[in-house]
Amino acid sequence: MVYCISILGVLGIIVIIRMIQGPTIWDRLLTFNQLSSKVTISIVMMSIITSQSFLLDIAIVYTLLSFIGSVFIARFIRERGDF
Amino acid sequence: MILEIIAYVLIGAGLLMASFGVLGLFRFHVVYSRLLVSSNVDAVGLTLMMTGMMAVSPDYLFAGKIFIVLILSLITSPLSSHAIAASAYESGYRAK
Repeated sequence: MVYCISILGVLGIIVIIRMIQGPTIWDRLLTFNQLSSKVTISIVMMSIITSQSFLLDIAIVYTLLSFIGSVFIARFIRERGDF
Repeated sequence: MILEIIAYVLIGAGLLMASFGVLGLFRFHVVYSRLLVSSNVDAVGLTLMMTGMMAVSPDYLFAGKIFIVLILSLITSPLSSHAIAASAYESGYRAK
């Protein structure tokens, strides 16, 4: 399970490289979406390893907050700086 | 013992799917293709890994909470992909 977390970390670093060199702003939003899903999976694996139940609550809150951030940034770009 | 083997096979398949999703970000050159590949493959990898971790979890409370995280991710991931695609389309980005 520890090896799975390290593989997910390497994938996250590759996604961050893609986020830095993405040509348009929607590429960066897309990579942010993918990175947040990898972070969620890593938090759930961490809670399985240490067998602490409150980390799963943090995973739920992280999922909802990344959804709200992604949707509102996309809407902010679509309305050209206005909600 | 059997359950652990099934769980590790599922988690390995999910990691392979997540790696394909990251590879798809580098192979395609249009935003819509990247969005399609990363959204589909990432949802498959997330479902496989969450199912594997539900199989290896020590308690029923753990399994229920991981199931809630899985359902929330499966609801919110297509919605945010749709929001990004609608934002790109209505801002005038077209695939050449």
